[in-house]
Amino acid sequence: MSMNPNDPSLVHTGTIIEDEPLTLGQLCRACGTHAEWVISLVEEGIIEPDGREIRFWRFSGVSLVRVRSAFKLQHDLGVNLAGIGLALDLMEQLETLRAQLNVTGHF
Amino acid sequence: MQYKDYYKFMGLSRDASQDEVKRAYKKLARKYHPDVSKETDAEAKFKELGEAYEVLKDPEKRAAYNQLGANWKSGQDFKPPPNWDEGFEFKGGGFTGSDSHEFSDFFEQMFGRAGFQSPNTGRKTTEHLRGQDSHAKIHIDLEDSYRGATRNISLSTPEMSAQGELHVKHRSLNVKIPKGIKQGQHIKLAGQGNPGLGSGEAGDLFLELVFNNHPLYRVAETDVYLDLPVAPWEAALGAKIKVPIPDGSVELTIPPNSRQGSKLRLTGRGLPTKVPGNFFVVLQIVLPPAKTDQAKEIYQNMQQTLGFNPRESMGV
Repeated sequence: MSMNPNDPSLVHTGTIIEDEPLTLGQLCRACGTHAEWVISLVEEGIIEPDGREIRFWRFSGVSLVRVRSAFKLQHDLGVNLAGIGLALDLMEQLETLRAQLNVTGHF
Repeated sequence: MQYKDYYKFMGLSRDASQDEVKRAYKKLARKYHPDVSKETDAEAKFKELGEAYEVLKDPEKRAAYNQLGANWKSGQDFKPPPNWDEGFEFKGGGFTGSDSHEFSDFFEQMFGRAGFQSPNTGRKTTEHLRGQDSHAKIHIDLEDSYRGATRNISLSTPEMSAQGELHVKHRSLNVKIPKGIKQGQHIKLAGQGNPGLGSGEAGDLFLELVFNNHPLYRVAETDVYLDLPVAPWEAALGAKIKVPIPDGSVELTIPPNSRQGSKLRLTGRGLPTKVPGNFFVVLQIVLPPAKTDQAKEIYQNMQQTLGFNPRESMGV
């Protein structure tokens, strides 16, 4: 018996990408970007894949979020690579501080 | 349909130069960019900004918009006057906003739809292309990660009809939330992204996990924190206290002479990830109010008996 994938009662089980990290090709497809541009993000130290050679690169969910933000920063605000790296790092610091505030309960 | 005052939204006067339009856009884009801004309606504002800029940066669209006159107010019910666009040519394309399919009805009425062009100039349906991957956030409760859960999410996907028209299709999806998932992790659902063209396969859907704020618990990575109110005698003498945790409750031993803010660890009772996180109880000593004569007497006794100076280290 085959299941209809559009059946509204069907429960979909996905994969957690932290358990199955993305290849360069999958990351590019997920973010709608060119591989060359993602490679330049790696060279700038904006994202850090596991694996030494390009064909063995694997990207976590953190990279996915950063590449999508980087793309929007470049596309919407015209930020260059150095600026993207700076903006993402500062945003991450801000997130860390917010998380710490959340844990200590002081707002 | 409601009139949109693009000048007012961008804080510009109607005779602003193209350079001023550009500068205002850059400034507001930084302010409202959803990745940067934490304003709750940043995303909506950013879209509106993109729409306003799409019109005002293009001299021809701007001139046509100006021709509507300056007497309209934002939100006012609006119908374009007949032949308002006479002498202007809005060719398909030329739209630069990536989310132009989300522009307002007002924009669409005036300048047409962006992105997909008319069927005779557009793509032929004989082409087969894989659909794009899509992204969404899914909000879950902390308890869902402790126990695992099924969540129903609503998605809207842009779809192209056989006539080449773009419309938004709403659908809902039941998604299994695996036990031990963390804030910020992603679930990939193969084939649930945007549909392909022709016989091209559908893209994938990426769901980013976000925890709802919890009234009791706070989460940091895999660790979970609880502020636990305790009475002064419980902190001073030690006690066994029943403490809520997201998947039930535990008996916790509070050691004698515990201080305000002391952290007690329940190893492995945080998020049930592969290496489980810890659960921390943070003691919050609560003073009973000295409202009755008896209560006052107890505090007075403490004062006389204990000889306690909480400011000793300050030398006063």
